[in-house]
Amino acid sequence: MRFVCLQENLKKDLNIAQNIIGRNLTLPILNNLLLQTEEGRLKISATNLEIGVSTWTSGKVEKDGAITCPARILASLVNNLPNKKVELEVKGSNLLIKCESFKTTIKGLPADDFPIIPKIKETPLMEVENGFFKDALNQVVGVTALSESRPEIAGVLFSFERNDLKLAATDSFRLAEKVIFSVSKKPDSKKPLIVPQRTAQELIRILGEREGKLKIILGHNQVLFDMGETQLVSRLIEGQYPDYQQIIPKSFNYQVGVERELLLNSVRVAGIFSSKVNNITLVLKKGQLEVLSNDADLGENRSQVAAEIKGGDLEVNFNYRYILDGLTNISSKKVFLGMNSESSPMVIRPAGEDDYLYIIMPIKAN
Amino acid sequence: MNFMLHEELWQTALGEIELNISRANFITWFRDTGIIKNKDGVVTIGVPNGFSKEWLENKYNKLILRALRNTSNNIKDLRFIINPVTNQPSMEKIFKTGIKKEPPASLDQPFEELVVDKETNLNPKYKFANFIVGSFNELAQAAAKAVVGNPGELYNPLFIYGGVGLGKTHLIQAIGNEIVEKYKKKKKVKYISSEKFTSELVSALHNGKVEDFKEKYRQIDVLVIDDVQFLAGKEKTQEEFFHAFNALYQKNKQIILSSDRPPRAISTLEERLRSRFEGGMIADISQPDMETRLAILKCKLAEKKATLPDDILNHLATNIQKNIRELEGALNRVIALNNLSFTTDKDKIFKILNDIISPPKKLTHYKIIIQAVAEFYDVNTSELINRCRKKEVAYPRQIAMYLIREELKKSFPFIGEKLGGRDHTTVMYACDKMQKEIQSNETLQQEIVLIKERIYSK
Repeated sequence: MRFVCLQENLKKDLNIAQNIIGRNLTLPILNNLLLQTEEGRLKISATNLEIGVSTWTSGKVEKDGAITCPARILASLVNNLPNKKVELEVKGSNLLIKCESFKTTIKGLPADDFPIIPKIKETPLMEVENGFFKDALNQVVGVTALSESRPEIAGVLFSFERNDLKLAATDSFRLAEKVIFSVSKKPDSKKPLIVPQRTAQELIRILGEREGKLKIILGHNQVLFDMGETQLVSRLIEGQYPDYQQIIPKSFNYQVGVERELLLNSVRVAGIFSSKVNNITLVLKKGQLEVLSNDADLGENRSQVAAEIKGGDLEVNFNYRYILDGLTNISSKKVFLGMNSESSPMVIRPAGEDDYLYIIMPIKAN
Repeated sequence: MNFMLHEELWQTALGEIELNISRANFITWFRDTGIIKNKDGVVTIGVPNGFSKEWLENKYNKLILRALRNTSNNIKDLRFIINPVTNQPSMEKIFKTGIKKEPPASLDQPFEELVVDKETNLNPKYKFANFIVGSFNELAQAAAKAVVGNPGELYNPLFIYGGVGLGKTHLIQAIGNEIVEKYKKKKKVKYISSEKFTSELVSALHNGKVEDFKEKYRQIDVLVIDDVQFLAGKEKTQEEFFHAFNALYQKNKQIILSSDRPPRAISTLEERLRSRFEGGMIADISQPDMETRLAILKCKLAEKKATLPDDILNHLATNIQKNIRELEGALNRVIALNNLSFTTDKDKIFKILNDIISPPKKLTHYKIIIQAVAEFYDVNTSELINRCRKKEVAYPRQIAMYLIREELKKSFPFIGEKLGGRDHTTVMYACDKMQKEIQSNETLQQEIVLIKERIYSK
């Protein structure tokens, strides 16, 4: 194999591909990247046997061929080369890299031993604009459960309803749902997918690097995210996602409209004085919203937040981290809070928008 | 082809494959694989994910085929599908798939409150709609419905008793759920097990918050307490419960209790509590008849959206008579088996059910029974056997006869001979008498239970 390209291009693609590589001791080849010429371009692939990433770098193919070599070493090297022409050449089981005054030899492993990344050849389920989808996914991905005990909620749910795509995630203490209205998609796609959290995060990262449109293609038990020059294949989580719609309150006894920045700041300050379980208290009293917290060892804090309140007096405990997560996922100037009682979930929505929803369960008052 | 053969075939093949490739490759690619189908020379192999599928298909196809042909040479082709199978489908794993996992407990309130309502502690899955009524429980069910109609007025307290796994909890929770629904949460319902009640009281005593504890229970409109027999022997709890009971009763609040035996049979239950328990309505749930068991199975099957042939259901209903929960467990097992091995082979299912249906018979001997009876009534074994017809000896003797008949299924002449060469008609009379008396005499029931405990604890 002989391939020549610009350092900048190669660097970008190496960084896209190498991120999913973890340390795998049983199968050392998984620590490697596969470099392979394909239709006049260089294809760089990496996998951890759950996710597979392939990305194509444009350049000049002088001779076809393939090799694998350790990802970290290759990426660290290329990152530090000057932005000039880089020449890659396979000699035996070694990869030779030349760039201006640098000459490097990296020991590799034969490309034949590299796992084959599954191919999915179905027609795309839907198409959506990269940047937009990235932001949407970002708003829910942080809420997924990290525990292995309930695998079905350790991922982001993609469900289709008429023309809308709903992204949802929960860790059973809170839930986030984002609706993407009128996406172009195949009319017969009904089955919801559960995309593992790791895949979703990787997708967000890659979407940040690539512009254009994202195609989602569903295979048997696998999903392919096609961004043109980069493809990401992942397994899907098998199982039934909990029917979360039924916990979304339909009406509220208490409604609060508040400026997001103000509330965010009050909650953040109150968080400093929260006890071990991270609890702070929201108090609705005489048309005022008060955020308070106290800890026997640290002290206590209370702050008033200007708000419009409908409903009577109420006092509810929450994990302040969960509120912060919800508020930071929202970008609108004002937010709406909806509550029903001290033991029922609170809803946070951006005011005036109905495409995002964040629900938190209160902490049980002792 | 049956399931076990697939497993054996695959294990043999794996044994050979393992020798030909490196350990790391073997572990990575052959983990969680298995044969799913073997038909007309085409073997279908289930693999856990797309990566394994691609790799086995493209790299190890020949190796696997060769290994399989060594054991079974009519195999011509391989197919791979993504379908995780477990390596060794132990019975345990199969059984697990039939049961739902309990969500882990945590300090924060999870959304799981869908499953159990935190306020009332009621599980919404228990409803009257899925409570199957038969002659064995219609009194209890009718009383329960009446209570829903007129809480606190008609039958107060309502006391329901019956054996293990016959639906006491289902019924009393159904009352709670129905009341919540009917009165649109205007009535405050609380379901609690007596054990929980005790531990709450203990922690209240510990923290010096007994007043709060009392206050909490006095605000409830409908108090449902499960398994009150566990209050037996806990005097402080009984006292506190007595006060809570009185406070609620005075205000005409409904109290619903369940136990595995009638109030008078709960030993060490204080007299004043016992008489209060008996002051309302006592209804029992006995064992369901054949038709009801079948109806229950069909209902559960519909709930789980599964289908099973009628003769399997019949087999289950005929063989598991005494416990509805066990009946459901057996049903789960059959469904799980059905889903996993795709087999509807009846003989196999019957065989597996045998484990559940006939648990290893507890062994005993007629001598042990005679001895236990004699000890229990404080008479001499020789007195039981000799011809003495004094009442204090004759009665235990009849009990001994009844127990030998019931527990060991010995013939009447055999029993007669062992108990002093008596005529078989004497034995028949004794067994008949006991059988009748046991139905109406609670004390006798208790005695029999205690004697059985002695017999089997030897």
